[in-house]
Amino acid sequence: MFAYFIWTAPNPFITSDDLLKKDTMNRLNTQISGIRLDNPFILASGILDENGYTMKRVLDEGAAAVVTKSIGISERSGYRTPVVVEIDGRNMINAIGLANPGIDNFGEEMKIARESMKPVIGSVFGSTAEEFALLSRKMEEYGASAIELNLSCPHVKGFGQEVGSDPDLVESIVGEVKRSVKIPVFAKLSPNISDILEIAKAAEKADAYVLINTVKAMAIDIYARMPVLSNSYGGLSGPCIKPVGIRYVYEVKRETGKEIIGVGGIRTGEDALEYIMAGASCVEVGTAVHSDGRDIFKQLSLETGKIMKAEKIESIREIIGAAIRK
Amino acid sequence: MMHSEVINVEENTPTVKTIYFEWKQEAKPGQFIMAWVPGTGEIPISLSSTDTIKSITVKSYGPASDAITKLTKGSRIFFRGPYGRPFSTVRGPTLLVGGGSGMASLRPLITKDSDAIVSARTAAELLFSDRIKGGKVFEVTDDGSAGIRGNPIDALGTIDLEKYKMTYVCGPEIMLKKIYDFLNSRQIRAEFAMERLMKCGIGVCDSCSVDGFQLCRDGSIFSIEEMRGMTEFGRTKLTESGRRIYLNY
Ligand SMILES: Cc1cc2nc3c(=O)[nH]c(=O)nc-3n(C[C@H](O)[C@H](O)[C@H](O)COP(=O)(O)OP(=O)(O)OC[C@H]3O[C@@H](n4cnc5c(N)ncnc54)[C@H](O)[C@@H]3O)c2cc1C
Ligand SMILES: Cc1cc2nc3c(=O)[nH]c(=O)nc-3n(C[C@H](O)[C@H](O)[C@H](O)COP(=O)(O)O)c2cc1C
Ligand code: FES
Repeated sequence: MFAYFIWTAPNPFITSDDLLKKDTMNRLNTQISGIRLDNPFILASGILDENGYTMKRVLDEGAAAVVTKSIGISERSGYRTPVVVEIDGRNMINAIGLANPGIDNFGEEMKIARESMKPVIGSVFGSTAEEFALLSRKMEEYGASAIELNLSCPHVKGFGQEVGSDPDLVESIVGEVKRSVKIPVFAKLSPNISDILEIAKAAEKADAYVLINTVKAMAIDIYARMPVLSNSYGGLSGPCIKPVGIRYVYEVKRETGKEIIGVGGIRTGEDALEYIMAGASCVEVGTAVHSDGRDIFKQLSLETGKIMKAEKIESIREIIGAAIRK
Repeated sequence: MMHSEVINVEENTPTVKTIYFEWKQEAKPGQFIMAWVPGTGEIPISLSSTDTIKSITVKSYGPASDAITKLTKGSRIFFRGPYGRPFSTVRGPTLLVGGGSGMASLRPLITKDSDAIVSARTAAELLFSDRIKGGKVFEVTDDGSAGIRGNPIDALGTIDLEKYKMTYVCGPEIMLKKIYDFLNSRQIRAEFAMERLMKCGIGVCDSCSVDGFQLCRDGSIFSIEEMRGMTEFGRTKLTESGRRIYLNY
């Protein structure tokens, strides 16, 4: 069984999987801000994307693109373990703590990942507009196809959601980054704020929104009488947050009309189509890699293609936002 | 997170202890658990017994492993798992090659048909060489305080390896690499337990990956065939932050 992983051809998605007919391929291809995608499935930031060889493998095994783990100015080891808690096998709470090697050490991973010839999106986090701009320029130099601004990590002081809930700061970050790079810029927003539309408005210079990051959460072990995560608080992900993600995608698409990348709890073709009908042009997948393995990307394409065929949907484009009531 | 009561603690060497606890879960040799010390940390540890009574055999390196070696009978052990792809089991003669605390994960593979190369820095640190029943034991120490002075290769070179149905290897990466190089040109079946930093244990954080395979999920046991062509094995790895460093063993 394992030998199968090892010996798959470099692009098994097209060459070795005769289940996926050309017909399905045509239905599945889509684009985001002008970046062409073989299918609507992108690996989400923070999952299997620290090591260039892993990103390359995930791409070779069927993801249309990957988002790197969020990279900052300087090296950080992240929090002590435990950094994840599993909940019911499919959901989890994590507080990795933005572990990253620092932007200057990330060039080699980008180079390795890009050997796949598919889009690699560089995720960055900082605390000022200048930091975000510097990180984004570096990512562009490394060959990133787009920038994803992490304005939404819920568990690190001074970064992520703390930055992303201040509309003035968000506006200046997005503006500064847009002036600094030529590639598309995506703003990843948090569900843990009172008015997402206000922040979306502040980030309107971005080419697309990424919705949503994890939902701030906690798990306590009653036998140890303490929170399990070393950081106590973390971010909840997996199927249990899907309804929250759907609502945000729908609301922001309806109010802004802008392109959206949907993320949060996607593990089946139906989940993906639900996000697309709510207004997403494509989706990111994270926690399902835990429940279903890296193989999830191939499965999702297969399932989505089948449903589209049965429902006589010729292309992703045709159904983006189809569920939105004006 | 699960928990159980420690039913026995055994001192194996001055720095290594085996903690026994009841856990009815089925588990196989080569699988590991994430053991949690509330308030201190969570670390991957192989199961050194895989029956209803499970055990872990731990060497004190830092805060979490040290706290585990200080557990006593009656205290609680917290853990999740079992994780990872186990060793394949075979009938017939086997050879176990363990370096340092690497013998921990090999212990459940011991049968009356098992020979073993047990290596450590000094005689006092040789682990489980007294548990080999029936088969031959080759002790190897860095300082020559017991058995052959040198490394496991010095013992491997004196053994007819073709007679074994499987050779199992567990130890530090530098040892794995040297043994891999030695065995690579021979037509023998071998499996290696690889070790990398593990933060999540469930295939999401990427800290344990080698050539895109997650050791916590696709491994940590790999056959010698699977290891051929791995560019990162013995050559490079990522630190806690994700910075790439070069080993070049
Ligand atoms: C799949 C797997 C199975 C494992 N099984 C076992 C087992 O059965 N028994 C066991 O004792 N250990 C085992 N380990 C290693 C164990 O997980 C580490 O020793 C542990 O994580 C150390 O954590 P700590 O917090 O105590 O120390 P840390 O604070 O992480 O480390 C303290 C210092 O010791 C060094 N160090 C840590 N671990 C090692 C090591 N293994 N070798 C050399 N130097 C080290 C560190 O670099 C650091 O300098 C296993 C590891 C993996 C990945
Ligand atoms: C272990 C883990 C690490 C994550 N790290 C990041 C990160 O560094 N940057 C980021 O923008 N999002 C991060 N996320 C959030 C995911 O990208 C995603 O938005 C969220 O998990 C919801 O999607 P999912 O349910 O498919 O996992 C992380 C999620 C997990 C589970
Ligand atoms: S330890 Fe996180 S992927 Fe293996």
